[in-house]
Formats: sequence, C-alpha cells, structure tokens
Amino acid sequence: MDVRRQSEATPTTNRTVVERKSEREVVVTRTVNAPAHVVFEAWTKAELFRRWWTPKSYGLTLLSCDMDVRVGGQYRLVFRHEDSSMEFFGTYLEVIPHSRLVWTNEEGDYGQTVTTVTFDENAGKTLLVVHDRYPSKEALDSGSTDAMPEALRQLDELLASLGSSTEKT
Amino acid sequence: MTLTGMKKHVGVLEQAGLVSTEKVGRVRTCKLGLRGLEEEAAWIERYRQLWAARFDELDIVVEELKRKEKSNGRKKTK
Repeated sequence: MDVRRQSEATPTTNRTVVERKSEREVVVTRTVNAPAHVVFEAWTKAELFRRWWTPKSYGLTLLSCDMDVRVGGQYRLVFRHEDSSMEFFGTYLEVIPHSRLVWTNEEGDYGQTVTTVTFDENAGKTLLVVHDRYPSKEALDSGSTDAMPEALRQLDELLASLGSSTEKT
Repeated sequence: MTLTGMKKHVGVLEQAGLVSTEKVGRVRTCKLGLRGLEEEAAWIERYRQLWAARFDELDIVVEELKRKEKSNGRKKTK
C-alpha cells in the first residue's frame, strides 16, 4: 500500500508546459484531474482563487482579492512583499461557464495584456490552456531581456530575489 | 526562401537579440546570440516555474472541491 505523508491531495502531478507562440504570445498548458466545472469554480470564486494563484513558496502575501466574474466586471489583487505592495487589476471580457475566461491585465506600462483561459474537459480531466497576448511585440520581446511589462518585471524581480538563495546567475 | 525574406527573418532574430550579424564586404555573417537564447530560456523557465507552482496549489483546491461534491451526494448531475 502506498502511504503518502505529504499530501494525499495530489496523487499525480501533471506537466506544465510553457511555449512562446509568437512575438506577442505565451501559452501555458496543464491538465488538472477534475471535471471542467470544478476547475472553473476554482478560477472564478475569489475565496478559492486566492488560495492558489499566489503559490505559498513565493512568499507573497495576498492582501485582498476581489473578482466580479462577469463580462465587464473587474478584478483586483493586492499583494504585499516585504515593505512594498503591488496591484494587479483588469476587466473580464468573456465569461463562458466551465469553458472560457478572457480578461485584461491593465497594470502594465506597455498597455493591456489579454489573458484567455480555456477549460477543455475530456474523460473527467480538464486541459487548461492559458494564453497571454501582450500589447506589442516590444512588450514581450523586452520580457526576454530587461524591460518586461511592469507586473511581470516586478514578479521577476521577486522571483530572482527569492531564488537567489538557491541559485546564482 | 528569397533573399529579401531571409534578410527580414535575420532582422527579426537580430532585433530579438538571438543572433548578431557582421558585414564584411559583400558577406554578412550571422552568429547565434547565445546570451539572448539563454536569457529567453531562463525567462521561459521562470514563467514555467511560477505556473507549475500555481497549478500544484490549484490541484489541492480542486481535490477539496471534488471531495465536497462527492460528499454532497452529487446534487447536480449534468
């Protein structure tokens, strides 16, 4: 018998794949072992969403998470990291229950990034495809060097500072 | 591929910092900008790590929802 001490909640870990589709697009795919309506719930209820969107291992505190999940509705996430706080906010453009979510990310310097998430259920599992479309080629191009969109850059700095104890570049 | 097409292609790569080119006389030599590629790979990898960590937490939330749904005796079967 297989006894798991750590967490029985994650029997198998599915692979997360990131692909740069074009100069303006990045796509993340991952299968989740649950039907689409369950996964969709975790993406659209603030009290659930806030539990996973900011991974515990990243040492960020999510101060508030407001989500008005309907077309034209707004979301706003406020984080604290050490002394500073940062906000991520935008508007939902499409909300199709159990199937598709589209929202804007309006906090960046370069204009809006649009995120599209599709929930594709097959045999009780859901394939998630998260598609980020940056406002310009420059916004994403610069992401591979120094000047990413504000939100990502902040995140990147954060990751770098958190990761510096384990790896040096 | 036409020469114009090639030039355009190399121009895009150069702009993205993935190659560097040098023109000597009539010949333009391209070099792989390794640094650009490494930075790109590192950037993608950081992106991936964030999402992988997120999804691991999502798994926990989702498992909990599934258990709840089961114990509620599947009130809705659709």
